[in-house]
Amino acid sequence: MANIAAQRIQREFKEVIKSEEVAKCAIKVELVNDSFTELKGEIAGPPDTPYEGGNFVLEIKVPETYPFNPPKVRFITKIWHPNISSVTGAICLDILKDQWAAAMTLRTVLLSLQALLSAAEPDDPQDAVVAKQYKEQPDMFRQTAKHWTSVYAGGPAKMPELDDKIRRLTDMGVEEHNARVALSSYNWDLERATEQLFS
Amino acid sequence: MNFFFDVVLNAFIRMLQLFWFGKRRISNSLSIYVKTNEGNTLCVDLDPKWDIKNVKEVVAPRLGILPEDLKVILAGKELHNSTIIEECDLGQQSILHVVRTQPGRNRTRKLNLPQDTIEELASENSDVNESGSKPMNETLTDLPLEEAEESVTTISEQEQEENRAHFYVYCSAPCKSVQPGKLRVRCERCSSGAVTVDRDPQCWPDVLLPQRITVHCENDFCLPPLSVTHTEEIESQILYAKFYFKCANHTSLGETDESVPLYLIKPNLRKVPCLACTDIRDTVLVFPCEAGHVTCLDCFCDYCTARLHDRHFEFDTVHGYYTLPCPTGCPDSYILEVHHFHLLNAHQYEQYQRFGTEEYVLKAGGLLCPQPDCGMGIIPQSPDTDTTDEECRKIQCIGGCGYVFCRRCLQGFHVDDCETQHPVLSSSQNPATGTYAVDPLKAKDAKWDEASKKTIKVSTKPCPKCRTPTERDGGCMHIVCTRAGCGFQWCWVCQTQWTRDCMGNHWFG
Ligand SMILES: [Zn+2]
Ligand SMILES: [Zn+2]
Ligand SMILES: [Zn+2]
Ligand SMILES: [Zn+2]
Ligand SMILES: [Zn+2]
Ligand SMILES: [Zn+2]
Ligand SMILES: [Zn+2]
Ligand SMILES: [Zn+2]
Repeated sequence: MANIAAQRIQREFKEVIKSEEVAKCAIKVELVNDSFTELKGEIAGPPDTPYEGGNFVLEIKVPETYPFNPPKVRFITKIWHPNISSVTGAICLDILKDQWAAAMTLRTVLLSLQALLSAAEPDDPQDAVVAKQYKEQPDMFRQTAKHWTSVYAGGPAKMPELDDKIRRLTDMGVEEHNARVALSSYNWDLERATEQLFS
Repeated sequence: MNFFFDVVLNAFIRMLQLFWFGKRRISNSLSIYVKTNEGNTLCVDLDPKWDIKNVKEVVAPRLGILPEDLKVILAGKELHNSTIIEECDLGQQSILHVVRTQPGRNRTRKLNLPQDTIEELASENSDVNESGSKPMNETLTDLPLEEAEESVTTISEQEQEENRAHFYVYCSAPCKSVQPGKLRVRCERCSSGAVTVDRDPQCWPDVLLPQRITVHCENDFCLPPLSVTHTEEIESQILYAKFYFKCANHTSLGETDESVPLYLIKPNLRKVPCLACTDIRDTVLVFPCEAGHVTCLDCFCDYCTARLHDRHFEFDTVHGYYTLPCPTGCPDSYILEVHHFHLLNAHQYEQYQRFGTEEYVLKAGGLLCPQPDCGMGIIPQSPDTDTTDEECRKIQCIGGCGYVFCRRCLQGFHVDDCETQHPVLSSSQNPATGTYAVDPLKAKDAKWDEASKKTIKVSTKPCPKCRTPTERDGGCMHIVCTRAGCGFQWCWVCQTQWTRDCMGNHWFG
């Protein structure tokens, strides 16, 4: 890795550590290796969203051309969100692509991602299934997102009804995460989810 | 009488010379040319420790005149007697201009002087010629990029010292690199260097733009005689300075040895940290944006390298330069002196030039030869309008590899229809369809892709619109072409325009 990228990341790392958001436990960043090529980020789900109470872990890879090219960021924690892949955690966000500018930092990236959790952009490139639900059945979307938050991100919500549906499928031998994905995708319609899983 | 006068004068001068060279051994001698306004050029060895008075005393006898009848001019300034040579940015074989002032003045007085000590003579003379000033390089402070408001604050000598202007140039020969530069000035009309500026430049526009600063030209033949007082005549009496730069690293190769000023490179007087690496370096590049964002030269090179790699240089729409803006994305921040890209290494600069040329060709409706090792820019004679005309479809790489190919599909030339239904791997938009639909299977087999497999990693695919190699390492399948002026949004999987279907089916693979 070029020295410049490492040096700059080190400084940004310190900036995040010292930031008030860290003091408020809203964002967090950790080193994965000594060479500053990879970091682990964490953002708290924003209040008044289905992600409230959850902690979302991010994989941050710093390219050699940083800061002239954006860091590569991916959600490690599984999340139900129209702009984030429920499968790979990939994010389609303009500032991580062509709208990146060298003045942005780890802190601004983490805060932008937190903002994305507060305000999804379903009309921008999106995870089609999630986006459709987000637009057509907002209540269902909130339920599902809350459920994913509680299961994968340590969120507080207890949703026995949804857990029950998942158990029905796992009893049939379906792996738990697959069951959750199928049910989430079919608006928790047990019959259609089953159909899809066994077709 | 006159004869006798000359004999005595010459004897005196010879003694003076002897005395000088006996007394002062020239260490580190500086070989410079002295040019007079009468057309003589002398080669003189100077000691950098001497002052201008000493110079006059060495030069004057060789011109047969008295030292106090001389004016020494360098870079638009008449130099004061007390100026030490090493304070001036003179290099080996630099040119000093010497001008005779009011010939004959003080001669009689000189003759009456006792010829015993030089010191006495010196003190006697010191009040005779006290005109002139310090050299420009001593007085000039760092020039702002824009015209600044008049600042009346007087600065201390130390601040003056710290703020002293430094110039950087690209020396195309013999150094072939970025070097410290020296500011010089000549008369805009007659090109003589024997001019004095009426004021120092205050900002870069004063230096770069014509007719900002007036000069007094010592060339007697420069000004037309002022006969009648016509308005044009008066205007013709105004002479302007023409500033230029010389490389300070190599021995001057004469008056035509000029270098391009890299005015965005500056000494980091305000100790601004580099926006990329955050180091505070001595020399930085200040972008021409309102904020004046700063990178160190290493980071500037990294920035250019990264953009070059993605072919992400842009066209400045106003002037048409193939260039880069401030890396923080400021508006109106394009680098307009593209010689700054000489900070890149020679190979990269060559690549920059090649990409630039190719982009110009594409912009002009031309295309690039599809042969792997060629890539020659070709501007076809006729536009591709007649869909049935084979001749306008047939392109030969003249001046390049000679390959004859089909303009539409960029395959070897063929008589029948192109194999694909929507052949669009051509740079110029097909006027018939106006779209860029590519058969994914064909695109995969397209020549460019074949060729690129040899040299470019598998993680690279050509932009379906402009064929620029594009890298994808992780992230989603939605690719935005990084090439200037393209920005095509395409799908990594289908290698066609990004659609809702792509989004639904394989957005993340
Ligand atoms: Zn040079
Ligand atoms: Zn002139
Ligand atoms: Zn730097
Ligand atoms: Zn800027
Ligand atoms: Zn060719
Ligand atoms: Zn063809
Ligand atoms: Zn393109
Ligand atoms: Zn696709």
